[in-house]
Amino acid sequence: MYKPIRLLPRKTNIDFLGKRVPALVLSTIVNIAAIVLVFTVGLNFGIDFRGGIAIEAKSLKGDADLAETRRITSGLGLGEVSLQEFGASDTILIRIQRQEGGSECVANASRLLAKAMGQGWGVRPVADAQSGNLEMTAPSRIGEEQARAAARALGLPDNLVQSGPTPTVVTLERDQRDEWCQQVAILVARDALSSTYEFRRTEAVGPKIGSELLTAGLISVGLTLVAIVIYVWVRFEWQFGVGALIAMLHDVLTTVGLFAITQIEFNLAALAALLTIAGYSINDTVVVFDRVRENLRRYKKLSLIELLNVSTNETLSRTIMTSGTTALAILALVIFGGPVLHSFSIAMLWGIFVGTYSTIWIANGALVYTNFRPDRMSGGNEKDGQDKTRSLDVRARP
Amino acid sequence: MLNLPRWQNWTITGVTLLSLLLALPNLLPGAVLRYLPSWYANNVINLGLDLSGGAHLLFDVDIRSVVRQRLIDLSDSIRIELRKQQLQARDITSDGTALTLTLREGTDAARVAQVIRDIEPGVLDVTNPSPTTLRVAYTQQELTQRRQQVLDQSIEIVRKRVDETGTKEPTIQRQGDERILVQVPGVENPDELIKLISTTAKMEFRLEGVGATILRPTKEGWDQVWPELAASERWQKETNKTLIAEEICRRQPSACMPVSRRVVVSGEELTDAQATFDQQTNRPIVSFRFTTSGGRAFCRATTDNVGKPLAIVLDERVISAPVIQSSICGGSGIITGNFTVQQTNELALQLRSGALPATLTVIERRTVGADLGADAIRAGTIAAIVGTVLVIAFMFLAYGPIFGGFANLAMAVNLLMVFAGMSLLGASLTLPGIAGLVLTVGMAVDSNVLIYERVREEQDLGRPPISALTAGYERALSAIIDANLTTLIAGILMFGFGSGPIKGFATTLSLGLLTSMFSSIIFTRMVLGLWLRHRRTKALVI
Repeated sequence: MYKPIRLLPRKTNIDFLGKRVPALVLSTIVNIAAIVLVFTVGLNFGIDFRGGIAIEAKSLKGDADLAETRRITSGLGLGEVSLQEFGASDTILIRIQRQEGGSECVANASRLLAKAMGQGWGVRPVADAQSGNLEMTAPSRIGEEQARAAARALGLPDNLVQSGPTPTVVTLERDQRDEWCQQVAILVARDALSSTYEFRRTEAVGPKIGSELLTAGLISVGLTLVAIVIYVWVRFEWQFGVGALIAMLHDVLTTVGLFAITQIEFNLAALAALLTIAGYSINDTVVVFDRVRENLRRYKKLSLIELLNVSTNETLSRTIMTSGTTALAILALVIFGGPVLHSFSIAMLWGIFVGTYSTIWIANGALVYTNFRPDRMSGGNEKDGQDKTRSLDVRARP
Repeated sequence: MLNLPRWQNWTITGVTLLSLLLALPNLLPGAVLRYLPSWYANNVINLGLDLSGGAHLLFDVDIRSVVRQRLIDLSDSIRIELRKQQLQARDITSDGTALTLTLREGTDAARVAQVIRDIEPGVLDVTNPSPTTLRVAYTQQELTQRRQQVLDQSIEIVRKRVDETGTKEPTIQRQGDERILVQVPGVENPDELIKLISTTAKMEFRLEGVGATILRPTKEGWDQVWPELAASERWQKETNKTLIAEEICRRQPSACMPVSRRVVVSGEELTDAQATFDQQTNRPIVSFRFTTSGGRAFCRATTDNVGKPLAIVLDERVISAPVIQSSICGGSGIITGNFTVQQTNELALQLRSGALPATLTVIERRTVGADLGADAIRAGTIAAIVGTVLVIAFMFLAYGPIFGGFANLAMAVNLLMVFAGMSLLGASLTLPGIAGLVLTVGMAVDSNVLIYERVREEQDLGRPPISALTAGYERALSAIIDANLTTLIAGILMFGFGSGPIKGFATTLSLGLLTSMFSSIIFTRMVLGLWLRHRRTKALVI
């Protein structure tokens, strides 16, 4: 007959909470370090939050020549351009900083226009620094068809370029020009690299969206934490809510710290990982809390620390099993999921370990200090406790 | 507890089979699907743009330029009206949001304000910050309404233009108050698309059948012949609307009407068109307004051709041909006819749709090539399969062939239900969505783990098998529900606040959590109950 494998002995009796002080001290140090890192080293924000352009390009002939490509892109007047190999040796990720709608961008646009329309065509910013208006010059009077062609060459809407005598004014708000310059940068990069690379993926996030996504991200993390704490508070006692909140903050902070230390790109997927980690960590915590609540009614004589230890030990094999299965699934993502999911999978893998740790020491540890008295849980279910009074000794299997 | 009434067993089996049925088209190979009815075979999960390849564009619709232009027009009207009333303003300036009138000493400011208010009744705020200045701005309500209108119109134009490219299943959505989201699968270089979207449609007013004529298809004629024409690559790629119109009329002259070669007024001269009601008859009509030069040309043409139809030609097709009732010289006119309100709305929209009403700026753009999407699908599928196999093996090892098998069966049912749910909801599967699916696989067995571990504990306490199983189920339930609901909170908030990739992830994660409650609590309970009934086991090997 098959005998299932047990990862742990039938009954464990580890004094987890006895080591709460070193654990809490360690975690406090790690969390403070994470905060300090975020403010000193900073996060490597992806274009989702910072705005800018990311291009995944595949070399048309063999491996990508990073040095040559770097030489080309650094001369384009696009500000900071970073290159890295992406998944395979013939594929690179080009990241271009968010473009300001300044004179460099307009000069680039002017070059593009001259290239598309011929000598004598160009754009320049108007003298008035408040508006984003551009002045378009042409060799002679601009015809209706020419106006359209010029607008297209610049990636501007048709209705902005009027036909008529040269020079003509292109009316843009200042912030519109900033947004438009991201498109100009793509056109410039494409123009410079299209002979050696095929563009497989292009993402451009303008300044407006970038800051909005960051705000929405922060709000969603905050709301998630609040909503979960309220849920735990309603389902348990407020002390459990506090424990859950501290555990979640711990997990979120250390994960953010991981991003700061490794400088893995922090993008929308990483934010999704952060939220999932909060949810996953609490998932673990709630299972232990549930057992604590149950044991409170069952063993009225145990001290709080003993009670937490017993509950943690009783749920330990489940905690390890669940973390194990989830970690296995995520490991598959880390190895096979491809470069796009990389930052997400790494963060999740980390989150599962931290979540398990924080459940045992942080959430439980916090409970110890919330002045939480077992006798406050009144109305214990007597029937439940009757048939099996707690015995810490091991019983034989019938 | 474990022995369920028969009807419950049937319901659970029914739900499971239904999920299987709904999920099946996603799993069957194409060769099999071909023999199935299309309404069933087509019920598959859409792939997100990151997997299918395509373009995601977010446009910002800027209303400031609209307001600015309108204020310039308004300042002209104010000068004209004041002159008529023998009043005068020393100066009118605009700062883009309001007009400031400087009056001469001794001018009756209240009277001037009243004259201005009457130009566009009900929509102007006229204030008097000092005795000799007046400030004129549009009311907040009018601006809001205008913004709505501009956005609706922009969406309509964008939709029309994207549709004409013949791309499959484009998504064109309003986002918030001032944005339009355009998602087009299969388009790899959106520069063409952006150009197309911001291209101005050509609108002309021509007399019908006067002088030298050319044939132009009617709207109905175009709709009839164009699909047939678009079947050939030569014509589908053609962007010159004039050539297309000529080809249509060559093939089917009956679908066309003769219009004058000479253009009376071009659409650029049209400043506004609105659906309103005739004040006397209260019937729906369309009113329109021209620029000064357009009004003059329109006046000449209508005076000479009373009683003849005037063709409104949009992108080389005749969308309407009302008969000229009298000469129209005020720069504005109305189109009457046997219209319904909806028809006037449409016609007004079409008249305005010549040019984009506001500037569309791309503020977010994401494109993925089709082969990169295929790579992503491959990577995601491999990761999902490997992850699932690992979890299955782990569960078998930990809980043995029977209980491990039940948990794995429950996980399979869970995956089926997620597929079925996504097919039903019409949700798209994205790469982060696949990650969510993999995560769900890992987390879905959690409920079973909770139950089994509890059963082990109960058994260790000396309970007999059935009692241990029952107690395990009952006692694990609250932990399962709490654990799933807290994660679900995170998933739902992610869906509400997240954008793009996060949404795809939140969808599969939340759906997976919801269905896992069914599969691992309700479904496995039934399976266990049936198993126990057939095999009165003495000892549980778990």
